[in-house]
Amino acid sequence: MTDYRPILLVEDNPKDLELTLEALRRCNIVNEIAVARDGEEALDYLFRRGKFEGRNEGEPTVVLLDLKLPKIDGLEVLEKIKSHAFLQRVPVVMLTSSREEQDLIASYELGVNAFVVKPVEFGQFMEAISNLGVFWALLNEPAPLRDLEWK
Amino acid sequence: MSDARDLDICASEPIRIPGSIQPHGAMIVLDASSQVITQVSANVSTFVGLDLRVGEGLPEELRSLREAIERKAADADEERFQEALQIGDRTWTVLMHANAQGRLIIEFEQRGEQEEQAIEALFVRLQAFSQSLLDHSMDDLTTAARQTAVFVRAITGFDRALVYRFDPEWNGHVIAQANNGELPNYLGLRFPSKDIPPQARELYRTNRLRLIPSASYEPVPLVPAVDPELNAPLDLSLAALRSVSPVHLEYMRNMGTGSSMSVSILVDGALWGLVACHSRNAHTVSANARAAADFAVQAFSMRVSANARLEDASLRVALSALQGRLLAIMAEENELSAALARGESELLSYADATGAALASDDEIVVFGAAPHAAAVESMVEFLESTGRQEFYTDHLGAQMPGAERFAEQASGLLAVRISELYPHWLIWFRPEVIRTVTWGGDPHMVVRESGRIHPRQSFQSWQDQERGKSTPWREAELDAARNLRNAIVGIVLRKAEVLANLSESLQRSNKELEAFSYSVSHDLRAPFRHIVGYSELLKGRSTNLDAKSRHYLDSISESALAAGRLVDDLLNFSHLGRTQLALKNVDMDKIVSEVRHSTTRLIDQRQIEWDVAALPIARGDPTLIRQVWQNLIDNAVKYTAREEVSRIAIRGWRDGDEICYQISDNGVGFDMAYLGKLFGVFQRLQRTEDFQGTGIGLALVRRIIDRHKGRVWAEGSVGEGATFGFSLPLKVRIDD
Repeated sequence: MTDYRPILLVEDNPKDLELTLEALRRCNIVNEIAVARDGEEALDYLFRRGKFEGRNEGEPTVVLLDLKLPKIDGLEVLEKIKSHAFLQRVPVVMLTSSREEQDLIASYELGVNAFVVKPVEFGQFMEAISNLGVFWALLNEPAPLRDLEWK
Repeated sequence: MSDARDLDICASEPIRIPGSIQPHGAMIVLDASSQVITQVSANVSTFVGLDLRVGEGLPEELRSLREAIERKAADADEERFQEALQIGDRTWTVLMHANAQGRLIIEFEQRGEQEEQAIEALFVRLQAFSQSLLDHSMDDLTTAARQTAVFVRAITGFDRALVYRFDPEWNGHVIAQANNGELPNYLGLRFPSKDIPPQARELYRTNRLRLIPSASYEPVPLVPAVDPELNAPLDLSLAALRSVSPVHLEYMRNMGTGSSMSVSILVDGALWGLVACHSRNAHTVSANARAAADFAVQAFSMRVSANARLEDASLRVALSALQGRLLAIMAEENELSAALARGESELLSYADATGAALASDDEIVVFGAAPHAAAVESMVEFLESTGRQEFYTDHLGAQMPGAERFAEQASGLLAVRISELYPHWLIWFRPEVIRTVTWGGDPHMVVRESGRIHPRQSFQSWQDQERGKSTPWREAELDAARNLRNAIVGIVLRKAEVLANLSESLQRSNKELEAFSYSVSHDLRAPFRHIVGYSELLKGRSTNLDAKSRHYLDSISESALAAGRLVDDLLNFSHLGRTQLALKNVDMDKIVSEVRHSTTRLIDQRQIEWDVAALPIARGDPTLIRQVWQNLIDNAVKYTAREEVSRIAIRGWRDGDEICYQISDNGVGFDMAYLGKLFGVFQRLQRTEDFQGTGIGLALVRRIIDRHKGRVWAEGSVGEGATFGFSLPLKVRIDD
């Protein structure tokens, strides 16, 4: 089953954003890519508040979350998602620049669904992002979200 | 019956309260306040020619005495009183003193015809004597002692005068003698401490002079025997006429002396020695001559005291200079043992010792001529058992069971505990000094007869070899040891404080470093990734790029990739410092085979001949040990890339208490001249274009092995291959 719900990409660095979007584009994913540029914006999107109040599309099929973010950092965003009764079913993939043991441990303790270190080598980077897109948007069977109502 | 018991019996003799006096004088005892007679000697009527009644005041005939008592009372400073008194038609020498019981004790002695003239002569001789004491160089105590003996003998008229010096065990050593030949020569002899029991020694201290004109006198009792008001015997401690112990009289007779006099040598309030005078026959000495002898002996005492002070002062000056040097060394060195090793000669001279030892939890370090470490360990156990912070002896064998074995090097021991908490000791040793001692009679022999002790009868000189003893420790040396202990404790405390500060600031900078490497890991990798990404994107877009532009783009990518790897390696390296080791038994066969496969997976076009032996298991952190092998195997594969056939051999073996591993290849090798650089960070011996690498691999290997307390080594020659090895200790003690 193909899931057309959006992918939420949370990335503050414009270059990383551009490269990631390019990688996602190349793997022919039709899902809309929603972009948030910091932790606060990501939470606004997810909780439909601020400029995302009353947005139409459903919950993201996956959140690609950078670890280091301005205002509210990735781990905190992750915590907010995973401690929410409804949103906790949204898969979250941590995207980070390096494999820091303490980040890895903290992420899994908070219930992250995957933890990916961005490879320096471009081919590998492309491959990693495409795999993520394909897996979460095309292959993964999402948790039934529609039968749950906002509290 | 033990010797100690003998001593007890002697010591319990009531020598202060004999209830009688010697017959060469008479005694009247008054209540000091009411001046009523409380006791008289039985000979008072015959000796002084007066009929006195107990319970009454002094009669009119003794008016001159009453006036003398008033004079004495008026001069409160005068504890003892001596005057020539006219009573009737005779002149007496009268001595007066108040005893501790509130009794005024008045003693009468006969006065010779010539005494008045004699006094003037005495003054002249005393002056000459005092002058002679000053003439001699200060350190020549023996000469001063001999002069004192000569002077005292001359003015008292005894046959022989001896100067005794007591050792710490109260044996008396004759250091000077004046002798007219009537009595045996006692110079150099030693008299055992039991000749003078403690109680007698105490009396020597309080009453400096004692005269016994005849060893065969009949004591004259006091009447009544007991003070009627106090209902107690009279304390005669300070009386000149006090009757002495019959045991002592027997001792005198055994020694062949008919009379004796002794004057105490008191140095700083302590009994240092005696001037003892004897004659073969009965012999008496006038009160004035006695006073002159006492004066002479006190002058000598002051000489002794001044000598001791001077010696002590110069010793202390020398010791504080030594201490200064030791402390300077300690301030420079981190380890106390290293400091003491550097300042060994100062340490030994500090206590005039020939050996020393420093004992702490995990080590015993000995300096100079000291017993071996195991012996010192047993001493520390003994020292701890005493529960004391300091301990010294010049006869360790008598204090510590089994110490006779170390007597040669450690008969003398001076130890200070240099930690409040731990059994850490600084110990000095002095060697055995075997002395031949000539006793004035066998000191081990005690004569007993029907349950009563007799003083020894033989004064034939008797030689003894004294073993297991060192020279005694001097007060200044003990003080110096205490000072050094305090200084060491102070230094240790200060160092602990400094260390605490240091570790606090280290922790702080460690945290900062962690934060730094954390942001580096995130922020530094990103730009490299971007460079690589954009140049790849550019390459993909421009299908008509010429070869040169393509080469430039490739170079940009390669450089950025290399920089990215460098960041990864550096982070990995810095991580090593802070991650805890998780020690387990490491299956080396498994790790090596896994690493081999992952390394060679991508290079199957090369021909590599592996020669891998079975490897012993070792103790280590498996993740880190895997990194070691990863680097070593990567290197071996990398540096044999130009060989037609790469040959790589891996070996492992046990060597004593460590396990060793080694990997050899037939690659480019290296020049042994650069061995020192091989394991350093960023040290490369190959050009980058020849062999890729960040220059961190071997540094990482060394760091990992260092943390395991192992060793790394390398051997090689250019063009002929290289061998790298490392060892892991069987028992790993990690300090973090």
